[in-house]
Amino acid sequence: MLGDRIEQRALLRREQPPGRTTLVVRGGRDSIDKLRSHAQRTARAWSLDGVPLLGISVFAVLDMPLEILLRRRFASFRTIYLPTVSHLNERGFELLATGRRPHFTIRLLRADDRELEKLLAVLGPAGPNPQYAKTDGWREEG
Amino acid sequence: MYRVDITADLNDEDHTGYLWTFLDEARDPAQITPGALVVAGDEDAAAVCQVVDLVPAGDGTIVHLRPLPGLVDDYRALVERALAS
Repeated sequence: MLGDRIEQRALLRREQPPGRTTLVVRGGRDSIDKLRSHAQRTARAWSLDGVPLLGISVFAVLDMPLEILLRRRFASFRTIYLPTVSHLNERGFELLATGRRPHFTIRLLRADDRELEKLLAVLGPAGPNPQYAKTDGWREEG
Repeated sequence: MYRVDITADLNDEDHTGYLWTFLDEARDPAQITPGALVVAGDEDAAAVCQVVDLVPAGDGTIVHLRPLPGLVDDYRALVERALAS
């Protein structure tokens, strides 16, 4: 049985957007092709206002220090990206408060090469994850 | 390099709080049943996960996954210790 896309509008968290200096974490080492694949997966599953939602997952550093977030959620990633909210916003990327805090989705409009190259540039260089392999549990069950 | 059972973006999480991906991204979808232990992710980043449930969505079936603590390599070491004669 096939289902409808999961409409996100009513599921978005009603909270203040993260501050401009807030760090945003994305694990892994991305490429244009990987980002495209991930964005298209999101659009297969989710819609926003009835339109397939192209998006990329990130976590904001909210409510807990970066070290704890990395240990709880990113210990499987050798490398991470750490852009700021302002860096994303200034390049035109909107953050949607999807899933459970502090998860967000970077909304894409087309997920074409040009937009994905811009996103990859905004993410910046992938750096080593200081908490790689230091997990003390994925995260607390919510 | 990992050879995963099911491709996923380990950054993805939905309103359930679980990691998710689509069933048709599994190498063998028959292995993806609630309670099963699988390796999810991609060739660069992977995690041992437990399948939580399968839910129709969009044009396919969403698989919710609960990532387990530790690295894939940790589980290999565990199994090797357990099976050592």
